[in-house]
Amino acid sequence: MIQADLTVILPEIVLAVYAMLALLAAVYTSKDRLGPTLVWTTGALMVLLAVWIATGPGGTHAAFGGMIVDDGFARFAKVAILLSAAAVLVMSQEYMSRRGLLRFEYPLLVALAAVGMMVMVSASDLMVLYMGLELQSLALYVVAALRRDSVKSTEAGLKYFVLGALSSGLLLYGASLVYGYSGTTLFSGIIQTAQHGEVSVGLLFGLVFLISGLAFKVSAVPFHMWTPDVYEGSPTPVTAFFATAPKMAAMGLFARVLFDAFGHAVPDWSQVIALLSLLSMFLGAVAAIGQRDIKRLMAYSSIAHMGYALMGLAAGTAFGVQAMLIYMAIYVTMNLGTFAFILMMEKDGKPITDISALNMYAKREPGKALAMLILMFSLAGVPPMLGFFGKFYVLRAAYEGGLAWLAIAGVVASVIGAFYYLRVVFYMYFGDEGEEMDTHSSPVLWVFLTGSAAVMLLGIVNMFGIEGAAAVAAATLVN
Amino acid sequence: MSLFLIAALPFLGAVFPALLIRAGRNAAAASTGAVTLLALIGLVLHAPAVLRGETVSARLDWLPDLGLNANFHLDGLGLLFAGLILGIGLLIIAYARFYLSREDPMGQFYSYLLLFQGAMVGIVLSDNILLLLVFWELTSLSSFLLIGYWKHLPEGRQGARMALAVTGSGGLAMIGGMLILGHIVGSYDLSVILQNKDLIQASPLYAPALILILIGAFTKSAQFPFHFWLPHAMAAPTPVSAYLHSATMVKAGLFLMARMWPVLSGTELWFYLVATTGLVTMVLGAVIALFKDDLKALLAFSTVSHLGLITMLLGFGTKAAAVAAVFHIVNHATFKAALFMNAGIVDHAAHTRDIKQLGGLRHLMPLTFTLAGVAALSMAGIPPFNGFLSKEMMLEEATHAIWAGTPWLVPALAVFGALFSVAYSLRYIAHVFLGPRRHDYPTLPHDPGAGLWLPPAVLVVLVVLIGLFPNVIATPIVTAAANAVTGADVYFHPALWHGLTPALYMSVAAVLGGALLLGGHRAALGIWNNLPRPEAKAIFDAIVGAATGTSRRFSDRLHNGSLARYSAIFLVFTLAIAYYAFASGTLGPETRAPLPVTAMPVLGWICLVGSTLSVVAFHRNRLLALVLIGVTGLIVSMTFNYLSAPDLALTQISVEVVTIILLLLALNFMPQQTPRESSPGRRSRDVAISVVAGLGVGGLIYALMTRDFVLPSISEYHLANSYKGGGGNNVVNVILVDFRGFDTFGEIIVLGIAAIIIFAITEAVLGSRVRARLLNRKPWSPLAGDSHPLMMVVATRVMMPIALMVAAYIFFRGHNMPGGGFIAGLIAAIAVVMQYMASGFSWATDRQRLPYHGIIGTGVLVAAVTGMGAWFNGLPFLTSAFGYVHPPYLEKFELATAALFDLGVFLAVLGAVLLALQSLARYAWQPGIASEHPMDINPERDDATQTIEGH
Repeated sequence: MIQADLTVILPEIVLAVYAMLALLAAVYTSKDRLGPTLVWTTGALMVLLAVWIATGPGGTHAAFGGMIVDDGFARFAKVAILLSAAAVLVMSQEYMSRRGLLRFEYPLLVALAAVGMMVMVSASDLMVLYMGLELQSLALYVVAALRRDSVKSTEAGLKYFVLGALSSGLLLYGASLVYGYSGTTLFSGIIQTAQHGEVSVGLLFGLVFLISGLAFKVSAVPFHMWTPDVYEGSPTPVTAFFATAPKMAAMGLFARVLFDAFGHAVPDWSQVIALLSLLSMFLGAVAAIGQRDIKRLMAYSSIAHMGYALMGLAAGTAFGVQAMLIYMAIYVTMNLGTFAFILMMEKDGKPITDISALNMYAKREPGKALAMLILMFSLAGVPPMLGFFGKFYVLRAAYEGGLAWLAIAGVVASVIGAFYYLRVVFYMYFGDEGEEMDTHSSPVLWVFLTGSAAVMLLGIVNMFGIEGAAAVAAATLVN
Repeated sequence: MSLFLIAALPFLGAVFPALLIRAGRNAAAASTGAVTLLALIGLVLHAPAVLRGETVSARLDWLPDLGLNANFHLDGLGLLFAGLILGIGLLIIAYARFYLSREDPMGQFYSYLLLFQGAMVGIVLSDNILLLLVFWELTSLSSFLLIGYWKHLPEGRQGARMALAVTGSGGLAMIGGMLILGHIVGSYDLSVILQNKDLIQASPLYAPALILILIGAFTKSAQFPFHFWLPHAMAAPTPVSAYLHSATMVKAGLFLMARMWPVLSGTELWFYLVATTGLVTMVLGAVIALFKDDLKALLAFSTVSHLGLITMLLGFGTKAAAVAAVFHIVNHATFKAALFMNAGIVDHAAHTRDIKQLGGLRHLMPLTFTLAGVAALSMAGIPPFNGFLSKEMMLEEATHAIWAGTPWLVPALAVFGALFSVAYSLRYIAHVFLGPRRHDYPTLPHDPGAGLWLPPAVLVVLVVLIGLFPNVIATPIVTAAANAVTGADVYFHPALWHGLTPALYMSVAAVLGGALLLGGHRAALGIWNNLPRPEAKAIFDAIVGAATGTSRRFSDRLHNGSLARYSAIFLVFTLAIAYYAFASGTLGPETRAPLPVTAMPVLGWICLVGSTLSVVAFHRNRLLALVLIGVTGLIVSMTFNYLSAPDLALTQISVEVVTIILLLLALNFMPQQTPRESSPGRRSRDVAISVVAGLGVGGLIYALMTRDFVLPSISEYHLANSYKGGGGNNVVNVILVDFRGFDTFGEIIVLGIAAIIIFAITEAVLGSRVRARLLNRKPWSPLAGDSHPLMMVVATRVMMPIALMVAAYIFFRGHNMPGGGFIAGLIAAIAVVMQYMASGFSWATDRQRLPYHGIIGTGVLVAAVTGMGAWFNGLPFLTSAFGYVHPPYLEKFELATAALFDLGVFLAVLGAVLLALQSLARYAWQPGIASEHPMDINPERDDATQTIEGH
């Protein structure tokens, strides 16, 4: 029996055991000098695990009495999480090594965070949910403050921790209320109690507190306050990590809780999610306009994008979940490329994040500028770039889910938001002559930048079949 | 040729110029031309069928899930537009070959041009609105690349930015409109949508869909108030201006309106939105054009005006007006492209486009003058050229339009616009080519080679031919296109002379008025310059600046880095959604009666609330606050006791003591007072938020506790099984060491790790530069003379054995009575910590025999071994066993393996607390602080104190 249970979470076990063994090994041997090696082995292991999960047998397997479930949805999310985490690790290796930031803990913390995320998307029990969430969050608190000698980084990490603890507390409070009013922590049991029309106040309080806690993790407005500070304060590779895998995991968990545990009470949460989505889209779009720091800009951009992903969830349909998954997969890919570029930005060997440094960049590096142009257009959701398809999916999902007002608001927000993406492009192509920036040419980063841009263009042929996979994943969640 | 191929050819061909540029500029141009020609031939092959009224289509499923299909169709409208795009494209390609100079990267230019061409052809051939959107935005993107081709011109940059911002945003808005439209109809295929006029117009979402789509169309076609971007985009190379800004891209918006005409037009909303916008744009563009001195700016505003004219015609919503619109699209494309190329020739030859520096070119450039003359007269609407025909039709339709019950308004404004149109057209001839020859041209102009004049000449020939023989040349295609637009058979038979109609009088009035106006140009210019007029570019810049500024202020204020603000927002929103939950959930009646209120709990409650409020009130005085926190903790412990939870009470009270000691240690490093940081306003805001949050949580808890839970609580199970399964009467202790023993095992490990980490961090910190600062630290207040007071030292030493005895007692009774390893560990730890406090760190450390790490480790090991013992009996980890023993001379005594486990807990807690507190205490250590005798009184210190106090 226990063997069967363990088989279901074997990938998580492998990664966790690897992280712990590697930690011990590094502590007792050469410590930080092992950093680069660990980055590559961790990345390779994550890719292997992703391939393993993707090619493994299908179907739905429950383990530990239904507390953990491995289904199409979980597999989709896990593959996305592992691949993006591996990509960020590989991208960050050179940047961090050159600046002496590459501590051996970094890849291991990322690996542990990834374990937490995998548990999150597989959780079908409130306690497992919390366990996964905290494992992830604790690792993230530490990486956010990785640059200990920088006041900004430390401050960002501390703020993130304090607010994160607050949101965790709220989530836990919500989870207790849900338990108290359904008598079980299993999602499969909660869904029996939570039927629309007869939801008790206690359960509803539990639900909204759970939503608040989870909204913090996806940095949805108004629980987003940490995002700009952390994005700006953290070392760029860490920012890239924040913008990719954890977002995917948190959205996955969000969908899991809403549909697995409260799937029969859609109208009770749909409005709250729609409100979060609306606020996120507009705040992300409006606040980014005035930003001059590209990392801060990307923070607001990610807030806005989370708003769109939430729009898919707010629809409350299988199509909405499919749309959200596709949106997230595309979003993560775009962000990897964009951060590959940001990692390359430097001047006199020092990293630089002011967007005015991009002035007339296209003249010096037409190839990279073109790739960035494609990514920015894609982020803005301009057809025919893949970003448009993601946006179109969620807009349609919201529209067909009876949230026409939200879809129209989403369009308006995307018009506002297009402004700052286009401004980046504008600087690169038509900026004033001024201080010039160099980009460090690293083959790895170059591959990610051009690869991501190419995906945004070539993806329009058939979206690499991700549509079908997302549909299958969504179908396992919503029934 | 398949429509797929026609649409794909320009995209596929875009690689050729980029590759062939190495073989020379002719090869690049030729390959570009060949690709375009091939697509044009493919199109012409379909022409007979389309002119017969058939629709050619090609369908392919792309992302059917999304409703996106690669469906193309070709009807009259598509044929007309595709023909214009490819035909004029061919001429532009030839013209550009000779226009661009040797230094310009021509391969790149042609590649962009083909991309743009492909996107345009895609728009007009799409039979799926999503596909149309894709091509629509591709035109924005490729035009951005084309406009930005001459990067070195500063005004080019600004123009490209505005063009992209305006048309790109419009396109995004259109996505929303298309989405709604597709949803109303249930299909994204145009052919289906066009069949569902009634369904669409009856839908409540018709208005938002229409508005969003029109925003897209208006921005693309530079309609008021989005007209400002077009003139500024003119900094692009002239071939680009001629192609994008006269013949093709700006017509995309018109195309869309024409395409959607059958389903969207005919309503009041449509009329007022579209016709009004068109009318305003037409007049405004014409007026501004007259006062522009830059040749291209003049033409640009004239384009704006003509686009407005066509929009207005489409807006009228009648069939005849739609026919006129289609016809004018053809005519405008021919004469305007010719004029742009002509302006390019002048610029090329004279090296200036400023009308003030030109004049008299007729003598130097006779050929150019002829071409310009014909095209400009057509633009002015002078017979026998084609512009006259369509302008007559426009005036005719204007007389039928009634705007808000005023029949004269539209015709009058139309004549007014036409008048200015005549004036600027004639000005193009008169002020550039006529007049005396000047001596100060930047360079001496001359007629260009055939490569430059031949392409506009072709268009000028068309201008004349359509004007003279409209029914031979234009009627078939215009009829086919108009049929496609209106969805019905239209009669189109233009003629130069159609009697003395009102339109003719209006036309004559416009020509005469225009000529007069030009005559008085100088005077008019004076008036114009004195008029207060909004400069669109300045407004755009101001709007962008204001938006940026507002956004920055907004986000700076919102994200000012203050954690207090973040938490306040967090809390307020949580309160709001909690209220939502409260308002929308169901709350049953109270089912549990509250306990009777007696004096004791009320007193306790008053103390609790009083001490809590006092903490808030006196929190600046840190020591006082600590004392008050202690009071709060004490009352909480007493409450536990009162509510029959002695275990909790014991635990709480020992934890309280340890915590207070820890906080005391921390206070040692801090000033006595907390500084005032926040303003009274902010404090009252915070007070309000916290009061609401506190009352909310309190109310929630009250509501929950006065009602039964849906399921029986787990306590019943524990009460029933505690003795049976765990051999203990103290349920709390049995839960700790048995039912949830695994939890406890984990917890003591975590506790141990935490203590060791505190130790490790202390080591690290004391090994760093911080140590020097700690050593040089000056105390906040003078130290007491007797740092180890005699009374306290004696008391703690006497108390120590007693305290340890109590710990042992608590430990052993734990399984059946209140107590247990955890509490016992805390009590023992307090006994030892008191020695540190009373007799000093050095004194206590000297007498420490066992390392605290070891105690923690032993504790964990003992617990683990006990747990594993169960395995030997074939039971799961941590299963406890118990039995009774009768030691000699003693009473019957129960022994449970759980007690051994509890011993592990005891040791781990003891070690962890001591290690943590001892580590933290080391920060305060300073050389010379240790005295040889613990019960010392240092008279010098007394003096020091007095001096400071006296001072």
